[in-house]
Amino acid sequence: MSHNSENPTFKSYNRDPGLYDEIFDENDNVRETYKTLFDLYSEHSAKDFGRLNDKAKASFFNQGITFQVYGDHEIKEKIFPFDLFPRIIDAEEWEVIEKGVLQRSIALNAFLWDLYHDKNIIKEGIVPLDLISSSVNYLDQMNGFDPPGGIYNHISGTDLIKHSDGRYYVLEDNIRCPSGVSYVVCNRTALKRALFGVFNHYQAYTVTNYAENLLEMLQSVKPKGVDIPNCVVITPGIYNSAYYEHSYLAKAMGVELVEGRDLFVENDFVYMKTINGPVKVDVIYRRIDDQFIDPLEFKPDSSLGVPGLMASYKKGNVCLVNAPGTGVADDKAIYTYMPQIIKYYLEEEPILNNVPTYHCSRPDELKYVLENVANLVIKPVDEAGGYGISIGNRLSPEEIEEVKKTIQESPRKYIAQPIMSLSVHPTYIEDSECFEPRHVDLRTFTLLGSDKNFVLKGGLTRVALKKGNLIVNSSQGGGSKDTWVLKKNQ
Amino acid sequence: MNLEYNITYAAKNTYENEASGALWQFLIIPETNETQELISDDFSNSLQIPVEHSINGYNFKTYRIRPGQSFEIIEFTANFKVVKKIKNIFEQVSQLYSKEEYNQLRSIDFRAENDVFLRFTDLTSLPGKVDFKFDENISLFDNLQNLNAWIKKEFTFKTNVTDIDTDLSHILEIKQGVCQDFTHLFIAIAKKYGIPSRYVSGYLHQGNGYFGDSQMHAWVECCLPESGWIGFDPTNNLIAAENHIKVAHGKDYNDCPPIKGIVFSSGKNETEYNVKVLAQQQQ
Repeated sequence: MSHNSENPTFKSYNRDPGLYDEIFDENDNVRETYKTLFDLYSEHSAKDFGRLNDKAKASFFNQGITFQVYGDHEIKEKIFPFDLFPRIIDAEEWEVIEKGVLQRSIALNAFLWDLYHDKNIIKEGIVPLDLISSSVNYLDQMNGFDPPGGIYNHISGTDLIKHSDGRYYVLEDNIRCPSGVSYVVCNRTALKRALFGVFNHYQAYTVTNYAENLLEMLQSVKPKGVDIPNCVVITPGIYNSAYYEHSYLAKAMGVELVEGRDLFVENDFVYMKTINGPVKVDVIYRRIDDQFIDPLEFKPDSSLGVPGLMASYKKGNVCLVNAPGTGVADDKAIYTYMPQIIKYYLEEEPILNNVPTYHCSRPDELKYVLENVANLVIKPVDEAGGYGISIGNRLSPEEIEEVKKTIQESPRKYIAQPIMSLSVHPTYIEDSECFEPRHVDLRTFTLLGSDKNFVLKGGLTRVALKKGNLIVNSSQGGGSKDTWVLKKNQ
Repeated sequence: MNLEYNITYAAKNTYENEASGALWQFLIIPETNETQELISDDFSNSLQIPVEHSINGYNFKTYRIRPGQSFEIIEFTANFKVVKKIKNIFEQVSQLYSKEEYNQLRSIDFRAENDVFLRFTDLTSLPGKVDFKFDENISLFDNLQNLNAWIKKEFTFKTNVTDIDTDLSHILEIKQGVCQDFTHLFIAIAKKYGIPSRYVSGYLHQGNGYFGDSQMHAWVECCLPESGWIGFDPTNNLIAAENHIKVAHGKDYNDCPPIKGIVFSSGKNETEYNVKVLAQQQQ
């Protein structure tokens, strides 16, 4: 199907009827929400978009909005490609997403409290003990400890997709150090700069209020007896893939960005070295993984963390955000129990759908998986960033045999899900100088504080730039789009 | 009746090249629990660096030292006074066989409660079969007593044949080792039978000819559904009682080494330490 007549930049846009297309409905009409946008874009020529695209790229690079890709040999600094066609989520649709991701974050927090205290959900047989006891992310040191404000996953990144049935499904919950929020803000800035006239026609919520809400949340989990907490962001350093984000968040909150060597612990209090002498630190937004935060307690050879930090935390003198040990609950095997977890703690039905999942640790399901590798996505339970994923229908027979062998070697390490068809969205493709449909997902950002919650009205729409590719992670060559959440009554 | 102990811990660290800074954490302070009470403690070092009191990840008390100056040699000395109750352990323990005890051991409540000490760690994983079997017709306690005796009988105490990273397959092969090794082996076998087990680091009262009295000692604590945590010392085939002064516990040695340090120095370094435990009866 061609939309050539209306818009030259859509001349090679072929709608696949098997997929949910976010801007064209099944009759190839532009959906209501996108009408104004589509018309406005029709006023621009392919050349205009080419120029705008180049400008946006240059602007990202000049501002240093980059990330790094970890490969086998070299480390590359790349910009996160920004797409010129924004994603629009209307008020009604958003309301469900917002309630749904908040519900999940609250349930996960209750789950973590339980796992590190009475373990009732296990004793009642709802979540199997094996799942927890085989998890390398369960931290014994957190057993019986009450984190400040009772919060573990202060910051959650929930990944959603829109399936061919037009409904949202949660793909995973990220509650260790979810990243990407800085790109949400940068994308908004870039879009407004490139196409302000277009943005102006819609009433979309701002996304720049994330930093102030983050800061308020950090302040809400201050240690007892502290009036105005001193908050900092700790980064592993400039070689970390998300360093830009760490520096952005610190700057936007107006707090210090530190590395491990900038802090020290004395008598179980944490101090920052400054030219005016030591300054006490009360809340640390740490973008360092659990195993690296304190060489006295975890990996002894890590120089990224602060020796003695864990004891300061356990004595209640400093708050770590997110709490150590949250990784046990964002394990992909735990994900499959999310509907039960939500019902157990909140006595509510899950608002958002879970993708059906097969556990290779269960013999029956393992058998099904081995017989149906070609129709499934196989994921390792403990890897982030899209590493180690096999998509069944992309594999050669030899590769399928290899995947089977890998699964059989350690079934507990793998889950499988039906191949979900992510919705598609018009995306500017440099080679064809046109908009073409590409798969997208959505990462939302939720904050839990001791007195208030916040869901960023917007999110990171990630797009797989390679045709047909389903993996949208930036580390796998994905790009992103500005995401507009519309206010009611437009 | 009580026993009063005077414990001395002395260590000396030597660095080939001058170290420009460091942080040490000592996990050597006897804990206060139902059977023992720490009366006094004192810790000093040759560089007169102020001592900080902290905790480790499992809430056991520690000392910390952070020298600001450069050094090549540093010596540490600690003195503790501990009162230990003499208690008949057999009053606490259910020695009678009961099927109920086995059922409780397998219950999800008990396993969930003690999950941390049922997990196998690198140091407490059995490589394959061992020649020791539990007998389900006798009590759990008797099985553990048998395990204690089996280790003592089959293995020979010998220093310098193993180190802290030696895994159990090697111990089982050479049938030699020190208290850490026998403790890890005991823990691995007990866990295999579903008994929550933890590594205990502490001091052994010397002078009775037991092994492990001039260094920090290691033994096992097992959690039995009807009796609670009970200490077994496989190095000496003893039930841990008034001669065993506990400092800390963890999943294995890695959770409770007496000294942990981060030292900014190049080249070799050496640590020597020794322990003295003197007892005196109290009325």
